[in-house]
Amino acid sequence: MLHASLWQQNAALTQRIGGHPFVRGLADGTLGRDAFRRYVAQDAFFLRAFLKAYALAAAKCDDFDRARVFHELMAGVFDELELHESYSATLGIDLDEVEPYAATKAYTDFLFRVSWHGSLAEIIAAMVPCMRLYQHLGHELAASLRPDHPYEQWIKTYSGDEFGQLCARLESLLDEIASNSPAVHDAYRYAMQCELDFFSAPLENLQ
Amino acid sequence: MNLKLVEQSPLVLGAGELWRKGTTADFLSAIGDENLPTETFHRWLVQDYAFAKGLAAFQAIAVAKTPRPAQKVLIAGLSALNAELDWFEQKAHEHQFDLNAVNHPTCRRYVDYLIAAAYTQPYKVLLPILYGVEAAYLCAWSSLEPSGPYAEYIQRWSNPLFAEYVAELLGICDHEPDEIQQRQFNEVLRHEQDFWCMTWEG
Repeated sequence: MLHASLWQQNAALTQRIGGHPFVRGLADGTLGRDAFRRYVAQDAFFLRAFLKAYALAAAKCDDFDRARVFHELMAGVFDELELHESYSATLGIDLDEVEPYAATKAYTDFLFRVSWHGSLAEIIAAMVPCMRLYQHLGHELAASLRPDHPYEQWIKTYSGDEFGQLCARLESLLDEIASNSPAVHDAYRYAMQCELDFFSAPLENLQ
Repeated sequence: MNLKLVEQSPLVLGAGELWRKGTTADFLSAIGDENLPTETFHRWLVQDYAFAKGLAAFQAIAVAKTPRPAQKVLIAGLSALNAELDWFEQKAHEHQFDLNAVNHPTCRRYVDYLIAAAYTQPYKVLLPILYGVEAAYLCAWSSLEPSGPYAEYIQRWSNPLFAEYVAELLGICDHEPDEIQQRQFNEVLRHEQDFWCMTWEG
């Protein structure tokens, strides 16, 4: 399976993400509220781009059933954005006025470049890492849950069955559509690198 | 063409300090001082070639979006860019460096930005972006005396024909840039600054 092989090949990178101070702070609940607020704002900006990338992928499908899967994946992003909107009220973020960090902009520019300019296989390869990584982190972090964990809602969202099913559907599409090509490997790896940079940014930027 | 025309253009003036940062660099100073190691220069050339390929994609999309007569300037520029890519390939052959090397993340970010913009921005915004790319390049190289081991390169990227092209690009940009045009022009300059630092910092 291509999706399993790509995940395996990027294991060193995903381990670095798993051990990243931001992720460790999410796990044990010690992540500062301001860093989390900055992360949520950037993630909302990113998700809006992710949503458009799914739409562009759907537009590139010859097969109507595959286009329908992207439609379902878009619904999943809208659900995620609802989570961010619920956070925005309590954290005091205006999601319509987010100024992207350089790392966020690099990631969304990459997504737009691939989704407008690249093949359907490259688009999926660029999008799987985000889904698979969050599903992985959700499961890893679920073991850290305790009563009154400040990030319980985040962890439960990404460890939930619903998110896991969406991730599996996207990975199945990757296996069906993508070949074991350098462009696919490159898109997957670069997206995973962008994920790592994305977690670093809220700790490096203080606004 | 007098470079002052570029330096006094509203987009450059609106960019403030970003213009200086995008057109001066230790890398360029080392070329001017004739002490930039050849390997460092070749590493930069490889990335500049990758960038030029990305710029060609950007410009091709911009050509398709831009109405005439402004489109003529872009088509002529695209043809010149094609010759430039040929020249890079010839240089790579002469000096035995590999143009298929992996793109540096800085180069990649710049190209991703350009191609994403090409598809998502209207031509009125693409023109200031292209002007930013070419004007910054022209002015950065024009600050150097065409002498020493890199004289050929300095001459190539500061010659009157290139300057004329930059003037034509300026001529098809809106004379009073709006906020979005200025913001995108400024973003080009941030990428230019990073690009100059890229190979210098390894």
